[in-house]
Amino acid sequence: MTHAPVLKVENLQTRFKSVQRGKYVHAVDDVSIELYPGEIVGLVGESGCGKSTLGRTIVGLEKASAGRVLLDGVDLSTLSGAALRNSRRALQYVFQDPYSSLNDRQTVGEAIDEALLIDGLRSADERTRRAKELLEQVGLPHTARDRHTRELSGGQRQRVAIARSLAVNPRVLICDEPVSALDLSIRAQVMNLFLRLQKDLGVACLFIAHDLALVRQAASRVYVMYLGKIVEHGPSQELYDHPGHPYSQMLLASVPEVDPRVEKLRSAPLLKGEVPSPTNPPSGCRFRTRCPLAVEDCALRAPASHVLSPDHNAACIFAPDLHGGKRSALIHQAA
Amino acid sequence: MKNLKPLFARLNKIPRAALITIGLFVALGTFAPWLAPQDPSAQNLLEAGSGPSAAHWLGTDHLGRDTLSRLLIAANTSLVSVGSVLGIAMTIGIAMGTIAGYHRGWVDDVLMRVVDVGLSIPSLIIALAVIGIVGPGYWTMVLALALAWWPMSGRISRAVAVSIMSKPHIEALRVLGASPWRIYFNHLLPGTIGAVMVYATADAGVAALAVATLSFLGLGIQPPTPEWGQMLVDALPYLESDPRQVLLPGLALTAAVIGFNTLGESIALNRIPKPLTRRTLAARRIEVAGWGKESLDAK
Repeated sequence: MTHAPVLKVENLQTRFKSVQRGKYVHAVDDVSIELYPGEIVGLVGESGCGKSTLGRTIVGLEKASAGRVLLDGVDLSTLSGAALRNSRRALQYVFQDPYSSLNDRQTVGEAIDEALLIDGLRSADERTRRAKELLEQVGLPHTARDRHTRELSGGQRQRVAIARSLAVNPRVLICDEPVSALDLSIRAQVMNLFLRLQKDLGVACLFIAHDLALVRQAASRVYVMYLGKIVEHGPSQELYDHPGHPYSQMLLASVPEVDPRVEKLRSAPLLKGEVPSPTNPPSGCRFRTRCPLAVEDCALRAPASHVLSPDHNAACIFAPDLHGGKRSALIHQAA
Repeated sequence: MKNLKPLFARLNKIPRAALITIGLFVALGTFAPWLAPQDPSAQNLLEAGSGPSAAHWLGTDHLGRDTLSRLLIAANTSLVSVGSVLGIAMTIGIAMGTIAGYHRGWVDDVLMRVVDVGLSIPSLIIALAVIGIVGPGYWTMVLALALAWWPMSGRISRAVAVSIMSKPHIEALRVLGASPWRIYFNHLLPGTIGAVMVYATADAGVAALAVATLSFLGLGIQPPTPEWGQMLVDALPYLESDPRQVLLPGLALTAAVIGFNTLGESIALNRIPKPLTRRTLAARRIEVAGWGKESLDAK
């Protein structure tokens, strides 16, 4: 990666007021990520680990309490009003639920037309031409423009949502589990469409998912998130083959095998229990309460990030051992 | 279950009946000045209190005025006053509700406390107090009722606006960089108005009753303008000798109130007959179903 990142997130923190008085839920805590032009980066983690909140904070749907978001080197927190809206437009978000992310009162044409209008395309003819082009790109016929979005299926709606995001020529697309609300048969179609478009248009993409297989197929790099923090980050092939953090190892091991005979023999150290409350995160390493390897030291201080290989980091004191495969057996035993 | 079927079938017809009643009320009320066969104020004491005849289809009242004409013009009076009351109340309510729902935070708190104060005083008491201070009259009554009515619509539209604002399609607009004006006027306001109109329909019946009540008490619409509540008062002394004079305006008022209530309820429960038939809907679905399914490798 020689060129500059298109999106740089520095020490981002998002907190919500807790129901307990005076306490805060740190949904995203000190997260730094980078996205380079044209690449797909995966962001994985369990439900409730803050991956959606991270995505929402990046596009400005949640307010960051600390940290910066730099788009093409421009700090978005220094902008406000129309300038912020215009800059931030290069960051687009594809929502998980295509049923509620489109206005039921609008037709497909109106939804796309509005996005084009917001982007400053004044000529009506030009907007019509562009809308047709966008619909064609997402594999819908021109006649779809006159239909209300409520008449469409989930997969078709997600196509419309993608077309609308692409209407403003984004540089970065943040996809929050864009296919997990769809039927399995539709999922592959939409995913293929998405990958093709991403390749054709060269948009950088942050792909938020809990489907690890999907991320492996799509992403070149992967960030693993646990309880508001990035615990491991690396090229996806390397990370999937040699995970350096016990959480990543257990997350990967929890994917069931397709073959029932292999599945029977699999002795996966399954993740037990729930993610602890982000209102009172465990001291030191946040994963220690569920980690089979946890030692006293883990509770004392947050583990430093170890560089395991170029561009592959993991925040665990055992990371070098785990990465080398020395302690993986230990996890299996302990669990 | 079998015994219940005819009952359900009949229930399905009630919204239709309500729709027809209200449709008739609105149509007759709108065109009353042209439909009324005679001058509703023309007195003819020689024919006072006479029953139905060829000249007076529904008879005359104690001053010999044509009852049918008076009922029709009264429908017009009722329609206009209820429409104005709800129109003013909804405008204030929706404006406050959507502003509160859009901004949240302290704006929401302040506006909703104002609404709370308004809601804590019974609406008829407010109306009576305002009329007591300003004096009875047509527009005084309309304004007094509107003043009493808006907090309810303010509360409802705030709830609707909050639910619309938290929907992902508004968030999608934010991400697209839509201006606050666009979000407010193109998405929040139309959505809220649509939803609040449903409540307005159910409220229209109560408002019609309130207009009649105030007129009955002599605080609302003043003679000689015909009004159902006022016709009831005029006919009251003849209740025993000629109940027809009381029954006719009473029935008209009852039909309008029940009609509005049933219609509002039916709209809320989505039981209104749809203009699109099932067959056309099914055909459109089938056409749409094929889209986007073609192999992507073909490209």
